[in-house]
Amino acid sequence: MMKEAGDNKIFSFKNRLLRLRRDSNRWSLITLLVVFLIALPVLTIIFELFDGPGESWMHIVKNLLGQYVSNTVFLLIACSVMVLILGVTASWLVARYEFPFRKQLEWLLILPLAIPSYIVAYAYAGILDYGGSLELIQRYLGMEFTRIDIMNRFGLAFVLSISLFPYVYVSTRAFFLNSANNLLEASRMLGVGEIRSFFKLVLPLSRPAIIAGMILVLMEVLNDYGAAYYFGVNTFTTGIFRSWFSLEEPETAIYLSALLLLLVFALILFEKWQRRKIQYANESKKNERIYRKTTSKGKQFLIFCLVITPVIFGFFIPVAQLLYWAFLTYPSVFEYDFILLSMQTFGIAFLTATVTVILATLLIFAAKWNRISIIKSISRLGVLGYAIPGAVVAIGVMIPILALDRWLMDLVYKISGSPGGFIIHGTLFALVYAYAVRFLAVAYNPIESTALKVSNSIPDASKTLGVGNFKTFFKIEYPLIKTGLLSAFILVFVDVLKELPLTLILKPFQVNTLAVKAFEYASDERVMEAAIPSLFIIFTAAFPVIFLNKLLVKK
Amino acid sequence: MKQVVLFLSILLFFSCKQNTQDTDVINVYTHRHYESDQELFRKFEAQTGIKVNVINASADELIQKMTLEGRNSPADVLITVDAGRLHRAKESDLLQPIQSKIIDSIVPNYLKDKDNQWFSLTKRARVIAYAKDRVNPEDLSTFEDLVNEKWENKLLIRSSGNIYNQSLLASIIANHGDEAAKEWVAGVVKNMARSPRGNDRDQVKAVAAGEGDLAIVNTYYIGLMAHSNNPEEVNVVESIGIFFPNQETTGTHINVSGAGVAKYAPNKENAVKFIEFLLSEEAQRVFALSNFEYPVNTHVEVSETLLQWGSFKEDTLNLSELGENNKKAVILFDEGGWR
Repeated sequence: MMKEAGDNKIFSFKNRLLRLRRDSNRWSLITLLVVFLIALPVLTIIFELFDGPGESWMHIVKNLLGQYVSNTVFLLIACSVMVLILGVTASWLVARYEFPFRKQLEWLLILPLAIPSYIVAYAYAGILDYGGSLELIQRYLGMEFTRIDIMNRFGLAFVLSISLFPYVYVSTRAFFLNSANNLLEASRMLGVGEIRSFFKLVLPLSRPAIIAGMILVLMEVLNDYGAAYYFGVNTFTTGIFRSWFSLEEPETAIYLSALLLLLVFALILFEKWQRRKIQYANESKKNERIYRKTTSKGKQFLIFCLVITPVIFGFFIPVAQLLYWAFLTYPSVFEYDFILLSMQTFGIAFLTATVTVILATLLIFAAKWNRISIIKSISRLGVLGYAIPGAVVAIGVMIPILALDRWLMDLVYKISGSPGGFIIHGTLFALVYAYAVRFLAVAYNPIESTALKVSNSIPDASKTLGVGNFKTFFKIEYPLIKTGLLSAFILVFVDVLKELPLTLILKPFQVNTLAVKAFEYASDERVMEAAIPSLFIIFTAAFPVIFLNKLLVKK
Repeated sequence: MKQVVLFLSILLFFSCKQNTQDTDVINVYTHRHYESDQELFRKFEAQTGIKVNVINASADELIQKMTLEGRNSPADVLITVDAGRLHRAKESDLLQPIQSKIIDSIVPNYLKDKDNQWFSLTKRARVIAYAKDRVNPEDLSTFEDLVNEKWENKLLIRSSGNIYNQSLLASIIANHGDEAAKEWVAGVVKNMARSPRGNDRDQVKAVAAGEGDLAIVNTYYIGLMAHSNNPEEVNVVESIGIFFPNQETTGTHINVSGAGVAKYAPNKENAVKFIEFLLSEEAQRVFALSNFEYPVNTHVEVSETLLQWGSFKEDTLNLSELGENNKKAVILFDEGGWR
């Protein structure tokens, strides 16, 4: 009895409130503010759920849902396995071994990301098609044409994995470069072999980094529309578009998106649960030289082959096909406008990447500095935007912005007496905001996985000595998480370059991007003509990737 | 911190530069994205001094955007590549009726909305492409006949997510009713040479390669292939014949791209002028010559490629019916297992 009474007192509502007040600081507020901004479009969509699905919902459940689920689950599993193997092998070999062309391959391995996956799908279909490059080559060699049919779900899994594995590569490599070295030295000194220490030590420790990359890949897989539609594979996302456009029921599309969100949420929770209380902090010293093993010539060649294979399939082959198409079409397609367009696209991507990385960092550290645990959990809501198709995010962004705009327009009308147009909607601001909502996860995951490894002891010491959060961050944490920030910047930058549906809906009249140009041709079944703008996307992406990669590798 | 301030100020700067409501402007939301269109927009600018602002996206996205924007929407003109979407825009109360003698004199009744809310600009026919070496065109007659068992494992057609297939089925529903349409879907699915994948061009290529004998495709894409920069595609077109089905019955199914004036258009006069311009002989000639579409303006000749295929009787079903039956068509496709 006594105990119960005591419990009641401690856990009474009033007491809880008091504790909340005691624990809250300005970082709690800042976290909530950022999460609110980023999650607002997602919440808008969830709010729409209360209207219920459209009348076609039963039709979808009866005739289509089974197919959507089975294809989507298949793609998730197949792609996880493939990107895990491709990404981790590549990053490990590149970080640990010395071999010919290592420096070039380091950034070449990122470049498959620069080709929109629907373009990779078109390129492969073009190669393996009747009258495609493969047939031409075989005809030239006097061989019989052996057709490989890629337009099915296996082909789709291949195309998606080969163009998305760099997410895993980038995030795990940042880890391998940072801290795996001394661990491995220790393990080797204790007489454990290379392969054994990889599986026993490095792989478990690099889990946050691997998972960070994998979650991005899986969200991107869930989100893919172009490649799946072209290959005739029905997934959740093709279903969302079908119910929105063909069945004319946006509310049903939103319902499907919500199911998709649940799936992603389940994935994230599962990962959290798996990780539970494991702390990944370690006190690795910076500025340590990376020690790379040099092996025999034969082994070096073998490693070289292993590393270059994903680059060949993910980059050289599609790019070769694009170059061939570009060669066939350049007289009718090439304009000098493309150079201007590249610069404009570059500017938008740069701006967005900067904003997104700042927001993600703010979110991660504000959540860390705040003392209320529930707010810490809420902070993860910020990543949900990436799982929703860009077109749906665009709607989620438009609804609150238009509401705000109407209010502002009323205000302007009252003050000036003359009606004006939209103030925020249809501007670059709205577009960048939408990008940030969509790509926050892309920045969040690599930064978080490096931030996890910064042990709390040094920043804590610094704060005990009376140095503020901000100063501590720039003096201590910032240098330690720089690799994560750079990786995040590269990934967001490249993602913005190729983003399409959101750009189409929200772009201001005067703004155009290369991806829009490529799409104009591709959507009209003029895939060959889309090659030149696609190549421009790749080249625009290549410069920052190479440059930032230098910064990232340089200690 | 300084950088943050700097970026915010850049953003604000960009936010301010938006002038969509000047007198000499027209804001076009369009699903058409061809160079020929851009050429026409430039011509219109040169002739009238009215600046053309363009937003390119799919019609569905544009309709959603206009709906959300409501009465403040900057859109003046909506252009789509099929009649169904225009009908939907009208049903969503996004368009307004237009009275123009010029437009009325050019566009026949079946190619425009009953209430003058939208008008066709160009036409595309959905036809049967057959393998010249394996199919005798005399065996072909109608779309309805494709369910005949002699075509088992011979038919190639893309997925039902495609609007041209949806419109085709919508026309069958309008002409023959639900039951017949349902049977047609089942019959076609049974006769398919492979599960639907790829686009219209891929279907034609598959016929040339012998994967099937017949492909249901749009004339417009065959025109593009015949003039492709890729010699392989030109070869492909040479090995196939074009058949206009339903000549003895309803006429060959056509779809159109068309335009309507937005209900809350801030520049309505310019919008009407713009549509009149797009229907003028000068503009229609550009459409016909560069894009292998059939012009709506009968004073303009079709391109040479289309001339070779001969003239044909077109289905004069009022195009609004395609929009009205679109959703039903999609449901029939799903129930029949047409991917």
